[in-house]
Amino acid sequence: MNVETLPLLPHQKSNCKVELPYANYHELLKAKVTEAPSREFLIFPETDRHYTYQQFYEISLAASEWLRSEVRDFGTIGIIFRNTPEFLAIYFGAIARGITVVPINHDLAPAEIRFIVENSDCEAVFYDPNFEAKVASLKPQMGMAFHPFADVANLPPVDVHKTEASLPRVEPSTRLVIIYTSGTTGNPKGVVLSHMNFILDGIAIADWFELTPATRSICVLPLFHNNGLVISTTTTLCAGGSIVFVDPKASLRSFWALVDRYGATFTSVMPSILAALLMLPFQGKRGQIKGIICGGQLLPLSLAEKFEERFGAPIFEGFGSTEASSYSSFNRFPPERRKLGSVGVVLPICDMKVVDDEDNELPDGTEGELCIRGPNCAIGYHRLPELNAKKFRDGWYHSGDYGLRDAEGNYYFRGRKDDLIIKGGEKIYPAEIENVLSQHPNVSESAAIGVDDPILGQ
Amino acid sequence: MTRQELYAEVAPIAAQILRIPQFDSAVNMHSTPEWDSLNHVRLLSAVEKKFAIEIGADEAFKLTSADRLVEYLHGILRGEP
Repeated sequence: MNVETLPLLPHQKSNCKVELPYANYHELLKAKVTEAPSREFLIFPETDRHYTYQQFYEISLAASEWLRSEVRDFGTIGIIFRNTPEFLAIYFGAIARGITVVPINHDLAPAEIRFIVENSDCEAVFYDPNFEAKVASLKPQMGMAFHPFADVANLPPVDVHKTEASLPRVEPSTRLVIIYTSGTTGNPKGVVLSHMNFILDGIAIADWFELTPATRSICVLPLFHNNGLVISTTTTLCAGGSIVFVDPKASLRSFWALVDRYGATFTSVMPSILAALLMLPFQGKRGQIKGIICGGQLLPLSLAEKFEERFGAPIFEGFGSTEASSYSSFNRFPPERRKLGSVGVVLPICDMKVVDDEDNELPDGTEGELCIRGPNCAIGYHRLPELNAKKFRDGWYHSGDYGLRDAEGNYYFRGRKDDLIIKGGEKIYPAEIENVLSQHPNVSESAAIGVDDPILGQ
Repeated sequence: MTRQELYAEVAPIAAQILRIPQFDSAVNMHSTPEWDSLNHVRLLSAVEKKFAIEIGADEAFKLTSADRLVEYLHGILRGEP
């Protein structure tokens, strides 16, 4: 269906012609199952569990049946899991019933988890029993059910056709997830994303990197963040590929060994992971990885160059945010088309522009705030009308990130508006200082912050 | 070396790197905030040095709890593959 025919919010409209081939995420999964039921889909090396598309589809339907008995259709649930089959079973099972999933960072303190569960109006929480001690302190304070879920093998098998027939009609605009992101002040804020958001961003990125059913991603980022859910999971699913899930905290030393053993060709990381991998021995095969997506922080050019030289793996920087599902721009693929140091050009599902403090669009080469609009942009923040009015205004999402565009349409990310140092009226991006420091061979990481000054301001 | 002795041998390393007072069966990566990705690398490197062994990259990502680490050490020090 043509996205323009859908009931879009003002900031979800763009000048791009976009087709949405699946009405909802379950339809996407089912289409891939139908294409190749016996193709390998999910691999979990820690427990040596492997699932084909058909196997995991049946598991997700079994989870869906369990959820049906515990939560109303189109309700909201919290989930606290590591990168395990149990996380994905509940995730796929819930969204098939139009249930909104709130993935919760298991490293948060109980009080923070409580805030997210209450703020998002969760009706129930499903969790890994390994987190029982943390969850136990919450149960008596909260008026909802907590369900431990240890193993997908414990789900009773279901009649696939009967369960499919019981699924409600889920629209593209139905809420899929609420992902909580930390702000610089106050409580985390919940970003509400729809089925349409994830599907379109996933397809756009899969097409951008020419992913195919032969693509094998390795996910070393947590699934409770949009990066793990969109880039590793949704994007690879859109291509009909397979995904290797590793515990992010345990993956560094084994990264290249796992890439080799499972033939991984694609991954997504933060710059800090690239820096850490550079410090470790390399016993892998150069050039095995065809693309490493990198974002979330500024990537020093010297780090990218050292990494590519040593490992032979091309890095693709992009610009993104949870509020735009994941990435809205990427460096061009294949690698020889990249413009290093840039976060690339806008994806063909959305528009981007640079504005000044009065929201006037700025000409190429002039720095300002980066704005995005298109069907990958979120429904908004959960229960934060004032913030919604501030960030989603005039038909654009105002990212709070500073950067510019060159004459060829390449965008450059300079830093967070909040982090900008203003010294005697001169704007200084912390990254300008950090980039210089990081070139020193004895500096692995650096951070520049503004300090109050009575004369210069900072 | 028994498993109990191994727990005792690893305890000072864990105390230094993970800043935990006790190293026992209850300790795992997900209940110990200091056991993050970089400290996982540091912990395994320190254990390798202490026992003069090399932990294979094929095993390192599985050693996410005190029990798993001690079990691995118990096996490798007995010469098990």
